[in-house]
Amino acid sequence: MPREVEPSLNERQFFANALQENIRLDGRAFDQFRALELEFGDEYGVADVRLGKTRVHTHITAEVTTPFPERPFDGIFTITTELSPMTSPSIEVNRPSETETLLSRLLEKTIRRSGALDTESLCLIAGSKCWSIRADVHVLSHDGNLVDASCIAVIAALQHFRKPDTSTEGEQVTVYTLREREPVPLSLLHFPLCVTFSFYGEGVLGKGGDEEGEVVLVDANLMEEQLREGSVTVGINRHGEVCQIAKLGGVPIDAVTLLHCVNVAGVKVKELSKFIAGRLEADAKKRDKGGLMAELRADNDRVS
Amino acid sequence: MPLDTSTYSLALLRLDGRRWNELRRLTAQISTQAAADGSSYLEMGNTKVICTVTGPSEAKATGGNRSGGDKADVQVVINIAGFSGVDRKRRGRRDKRTQEMQTTIANAFSQSLFTHLFPHSTILLSLHILSQDGSLLAALLNASTLALIDAGIPMRDYICACTAGSTSSYSSNDEKADPLLDLNNLEEQELPFLTVATLGDTDDVSVLVMETRVQIGRLEGMLAVGVDGCKQVREILDQVVRKRGTKILEASQL
Repeated sequence: MPREVEPSLNERQFFANALQENIRLDGRAFDQFRALELEFGDEYGVADVRLGKTRVHTHITAEVTTPFPERPFDGIFTITTELSPMTSPSIEVNRPSETETLLSRLLEKTIRRSGALDTESLCLIAGSKCWSIRADVHVLSHDGNLVDASCIAVIAALQHFRKPDTSTEGEQVTVYTLREREPVPLSLLHFPLCVTFSFYGEGVLGKGGDEEGEVVLVDANLMEEQLREGSVTVGINRHGEVCQIAKLGGVPIDAVTLLHCVNVAGVKVKELSKFIAGRLEADAKKRDKGGLMAELRADNDRVS
Repeated sequence: MPLDTSTYSLALLRLDGRRWNELRRLTAQISTQAAADGSSYLEMGNTKVICTVTGPSEAKATGGNRSGGDKADVQVVINIAGFSGVDRKRRGRRDKRTQEMQTTIANAFSQSLFTHLFPHSTILLSLHILSQDGSLLAALLNASTLALIDAGIPMRDYICACTAGSTSSYSSNDEKADPLLDLNNLEEQELPFLTVATLGDTDDVSVLVMETRVQIGRLEGMLAVGVDGCKQVREILDQVVRKRGTKILEASQL
């Protein structure tokens, strides 16, 4: 199994010395995200996120299937993650790595378990027909912080996606093609996003005898991720509801510091949500050339 | 079956008769398996787990070592018995939730054990879950701590874990929501909760896992109650270890 190339001793020491002088190697502040770019594809539901050099591509698809027997009133929503050797040299084909397992679990907890997508709205005929929405996350390039980037990609793609319009008469469901009726956006209840914090303690910084002892960085790139001693991923939405917290081992951190991280995450998520909303609006304007969208809308006005 | 919380505000007692800050009955035994290097059996209420430790032993030649060999590698294997839950379900080892728990436990102990004393070795923790009634990850961490102590592997401090929750659901804004300590299965399905593990008596949090939605204002209360609960757990675990130590001393003085 190919091992990841670890940073050399020189790089480690350089990094540690820089941290002790409150400098981050790429010049960012300790709580600053990298440059974030979000692009949508021509089809609905395709989002491409670039967070520094990390690149994630998400594709949302929908099809009509039968619901699970124990949940006849809910539709199906699955998130699948694909990491290929294109992502990083240490990933093998068809071999689920720990990175992939954790990424898919965190996305699942943040987006699926917290109910971002209203599965009851996906039901067509209780017990026999429902929509199955599938989000495929392809990580194209791994330069650290896959979780945050993937989460942004999935949420943006879900907001961008339009599913075909349907009408039900008794037991019959008619699914209109894109030419017959304009597609309908998904019903999203809230938009959870993730922020990952990386911790560096005595093992990395050495026994410098500083007052704080721990350094906390937001949005670590690949080298910072390899050198970190612990991390916590906070999934939170812009209303201040924490959807999940995952500190899966790693160096023990004071509880007060963790709460502080959660608060910082809340602030960051508000900024990210605004950014995503701005991009969605720009994309909508680009598609709505002649003001036709307002007339062709098939969904009712929502009371919000 | 939805949780009946209607009586909580009247008597401030939960369904099993506990108050908000009471742990369930936590009992443990150490050295339960003579064949393993270290072993333990732990019960938190009705959650029962067995842990055996093998190691430190020679690492396999194949497979990339994560730290390049200068530290011991902690590996965790979890086996959830089919009869442990309410429905009989056979879970494969490839289950992602199980893998996440394995990674969590391995990462937690990699930081607390003195792994630099055993380069090029593997410490294998094998956990078996016999009965699930809430606080699963917490019970696994506690059982692992005891088994590692029994195996004689030096560590910084105990890793003690417990769960904490909140009586209100995520949307309501009532100020009367109490944080709860040590939730059972029924409460975990209905209420927001988190699992927290601390390093001994300190406030340093080693593991924090929350999978349910909760308002950010409630989080502080839940975390504080959780950390306090971990301190109580440490006392109990310490008593178990000391009792075993006393027995060994008595046996050796014959």
